[in-house]
Amino acid sequence: MFSQGGLSLEQAPPISVVLRFFVTASIFGVLLGVFLILDSLGLTLSLTANKSVIITHILALGVMASFMLGSLFQMLPVIAGVVIKMPTKKAMIVHLLFVVGLFIQLYAFANSSTPIFYFLASAYLGVGLFYALFLMLKELIKIKDHSSSSKGMILSLSSFGLAIGFGIYLLWSLGGYVDGSFFLQAKELHYSFALFGWLSLLIVSVSFQVIEMFYVTPKYPLWMSKYLTLAIFILLVLKTIAIFMGIEVVLITAFLSILFMVYAGFTIHRLYLRKRPTSDATVWLWRLGMGLLIVTMLITLIDSFIDINLELKMFSYLTFIGFTLSIVFAMTYKIVPFLTWFHLSNQGYMEAPMMHDIVHPKTVKKHFYIHILMLTSIAITLFFNYFILNLLSAILVVVSFGWLLYNLIYAIKKYNYTQKYTEKFEW
Amino acid sequence: MEKIFLDTREMEHPEPLQASLFHLQTMSEAHYLYMLNIRKPIPLLEIAKEKGFLFFTHQDANQVWHVLITKNSKTTLEELLDV
Repeated sequence: MFSQGGLSLEQAPPISVVLRFFVTASIFGVLLGVFLILDSLGLTLSLTANKSVIITHILALGVMASFMLGSLFQMLPVIAGVVIKMPTKKAMIVHLLFVVGLFIQLYAFANSSTPIFYFLASAYLGVGLFYALFLMLKELIKIKDHSSSSKGMILSLSSFGLAIGFGIYLLWSLGGYVDGSFFLQAKELHYSFALFGWLSLLIVSVSFQVIEMFYVTPKYPLWMSKYLTLAIFILLVLKTIAIFMGIEVVLITAFLSILFMVYAGFTIHRLYLRKRPTSDATVWLWRLGMGLLIVTMLITLIDSFIDINLELKMFSYLTFIGFTLSIVFAMTYKIVPFLTWFHLSNQGYMEAPMMHDIVHPKTVKKHFYIHILMLTSIAITLFFNYFILNLLSAILVVVSFGWLLYNLIYAIKKYNYTQKYTEKFEW
Repeated sequence: MEKIFLDTREMEHPEPLQASLFHLQTMSEAHYLYMLNIRKPIPLLEIAKEKGFLFFTHQDANQVWHVLITKNSKTTLEELLDV
């Protein structure tokens, strides 16, 4: 979380700002599992048309956006030296609008005959997320001496803005507020900017700093840290233009896939070159994430030139989800224990629990195995559609996010306990 | 003055900060912390500054940062630099 230039831990927001989003993300993860359990029991039949859209948005917004917003509020001051004033109040506003908007959106998807909910969802989510983007981007663009991470963050957040913009257009089209002539193009770009732009670019940008720092690895090659995020963003913009002009985007998609595969390969190699290779489940989560990114992009690359079957396509969506979740879990298990220890220690609590006491490495390892089991069981259900397998994989989704939620609550309890019952040391 | 030596060059984040903060919180005016690091430890220096410690940093020809911190305001840390 720390680089050598311009960072400041003193300016980092209170721990509650980050945990508010992380806890929300875990709860949405559990809700996703519950939804999948209901689905496997045949209790969501009335939602057939929009079921996949509901699942996608619980995952992309409820889980991923929550994690990313929490991480950004924390990491902007320390990675980019950017300070958001009054972070607690602003994070609360974003959080409230976002959560209310998401629930309305899910309700709208479940009851597509009520157009007003599409509009309300676009209003709450649009205002909440654009407000968060405004808070972050206006500070990021003021930076004079950009690092590869801060530049990548600008491109990632810009992609998020475009994804939200296309998303609002889609909601208005569904609600009948616009004629929806560009619905299919907007849908393709909404997904492209959200997945390749926002999520992937953010992971790439942050990794340029944290891989070297967390795991004591050699630096990424300069050409990669300097130009990769820009190249990906330019390709996405070219894709947008091509789609609206009706030009084939096969080559652009192929280039994007190759760039991501090269990046993932380099990251795995960096981790292989660790100077002190201790056993750490977060490293395995990074390796798994990068491996899954390579699989996703390989299937996407093949799909650009040869028609592949639906199961394989679905498998590539799953590997992409696996990639993002693996990295998010790896980061969360680094950020939360560190912040808990750091805030307490800096407040002068000599008995502040150490990181291993807050989230023990064995606890992370257990989550790693649950995560692998969850992904494997879902992968099997893509090819063998049995009731018991569907139910098992849904239960594993609940267990995975429930385990994370339990660990977050445990960290919060440790934090509160230390503040309440241990002595403060003035130093 | 007694030297507390801490080589964090091969430590993974946030072990350098954890170890150095532990020393800052426990050392007396008769000690100084001599730390070797692969990057300038700005968070640590910010905390040291806020808590009223005296510090001195130097990057040597091998890009290694030498960080010296003490509670004793009468010390000339530059003289304790070992390069």
